[in-house]
Amino acid sequence: MSLLGLLVVGAPRGASEELEALLASLPSSLPVPVVLVFHRGVQEALAGSLGRRCPLPIAEPDDKEELVAGRVYLAPAGYHLLVDRDSVCLSREPAEHGQRPAIDPLFESAADAYGPSAVGLLFSGHEDGWAGVAALSARGGRAAVICEGGAVEGVERVPLSEVKPWLARLSYAPRMKVQA
Amino acid sequence: MSVATNSAELESLELELLLEGVRRQYGFDLRNHSRPLLVRRLRRHLREERLDTFSALQGRVLHDPEAMDGLLRALACPPDALFSDPAFFQAFRARVVPLLRTYPSIRVWHVGCGSGENTYALAILLMEEGLWPRCRLYASDASEGLLSDARSGVLALPGEEDARNYQEAGGRRALTDYYTRDGNWAVMHPVLREGIFFTQHNLATDASFNEFQVVVCRDTLLAYNRSLASRAHERLYESLARFGFLCLGRKETVARTPYAAAYEELENTGRVYRRTA
Repeated sequence: MSLLGLLVVGAPRGASEELEALLASLPSSLPVPVVLVFHRGVQEALAGSLGRRCPLPIAEPDDKEELVAGRVYLAPAGYHLLVDRDSVCLSREPAEHGQRPAIDPLFESAADAYGPSAVGLLFSGHEDGWAGVAALSARGGRAAVICEGGAVEGVERVPLSEVKPWLARLSYAPRMKVQA
Repeated sequence: MSVATNSAELESLELELLLEGVRRQYGFDLRNHSRPLLVRRLRRHLREERLDTFSALQGRVLHDPEAMDGLLRALACPPDALFSDPAFFQAFRARVVPLLRTYPSIRVWHVGCGSGENTYALAILLMEEGLWPRCRLYASDASEGLLSDARSGVLALPGEEDARNYQEAGGRRALTDYYTRDGNWAVMHPVLREGIFFTQHNLATDASFNEFQVVVCRDTLLAYNRSLASRAHERLYESLARFGFLCLGRKETVARTPYAAAYEELENTGRVYRRTA
C-alpha cells in the first residue's frame, strides 16, 4: 500500500482527441506530476494544442528537469522521455515500435523509479506501451488501458468517461492491494 | 515485503555490484551515468546476450575482456545520420558563422563525436562557409572503437532523407560531392577526413586539453546524471575562449549548472550559447 507518486500516460497518434479530453478532465489540484508520451511527428508543436483545455500547465521539458506535482510533461519530438526519482531524462536511443518518443521507455522507467506509487494509463490502438503496462504492474504499480469495449486479458481497463473517478480514488484514498 | 519490491531491490543490488565490478576491473565508472538510460541499455544487452540477470552478466564481463568490449558497445549510442538535426546546422550557419568570420583562426571541438557523422557534417559546413583553411576541428569520444570508425571516414550511405536534411541545413552543393560511394557505404572525401583531429577523450574523467572558439556538445550529456553533467559543464566552460560558442542539444540547457550566468543564449538558435564571462 502506498500513495500515488507519479502518473504516466501513453497515447498513439490516433488518440489525440481522447488524450485532449483526458487532459481536460484532470483535477487542477492533482497532487502528482503527469508525464506524457504521444506518438508524434518531428515538426509538430503540440504542447499548446493538446493542453488547450487542460487545467494544468503543460510543457516539453529540458533534459534533467525536475518533476513538480501538478504539471504535465510532454515528450519532445525526436527524444524518448524517461523518469528518474525526481527528474526527467531524455534519450536519443533509436525508435522503439517505430516510435520516438515511445511509450514503453517511459512506463518502464516509471516502474523502476516509482514502483508501487506509479500509475499508468495507456490509450489502446498501438503495440507500443503494453510491455510498459506489464512492467508497472510487475513492480506493484497500478496500470490500466483506456478503452470502451473488448476485455483485455489480465489488464485493467477503464472507459474514458470513468478515468476521472478512477484517478480520484487513487489520489485521495490509500488503496488496497489485492494481489501479493 | 512483497515479491515485486523484493525482486526490484535484488535487481538494483545486482546492478550496483556489476557497476562496481566494471569500475574496479576495467576502470570505467558508470555509476554517475543517467540511471534510467543505463538500466534500459543494460537490460537490452542482457536480452541480446541471452542472460537472465545482471549477476550473470557480471560473471561474464569480469572474466572475459571481449564481453566487456561488447558491453561498452551496447552502451554507446548507435550511429546518427549526417545533418540529422538540420535546424541546428541552419542556425549555426546563420548566427555563428558570421561572427567566426572575424576571427583569424578558429579551434572547434566536437565533444562526443561517436562514429563521426555530425563531425563530417560540421566539416562540410565550415568548408562551404570558407572557414576551413583557418579552422582546426578536433573531435573526441570516450570510446576508442567508435573513434576508429569515425577516423576511417566510412559512413552508412546517405539516403534521400539525408540529402534533404543537408539542403534544409543550408547546404550549397550536393551531398554526394563530399563522398564516393562504395556499395552501401560512403567514403568521405580525404580533404575532410585529413582535416579532422580525432582524439580519445572522456568528458567524465579527462581534463580540458585546449582552448576553443567553438565547442559542440549535443545530446552527449544526456547519458550522465545531474552531478556528472555538472562536472562536465565545468570542463566545457574551461575549454571555451571568452566569447566562444557552446552548442548544446535542442533540449539541453546551462540553466541548472553553476555556469548559467557565464553564458548568453543566442535567440532562436535552439541552444547555442556564447560565453560572456
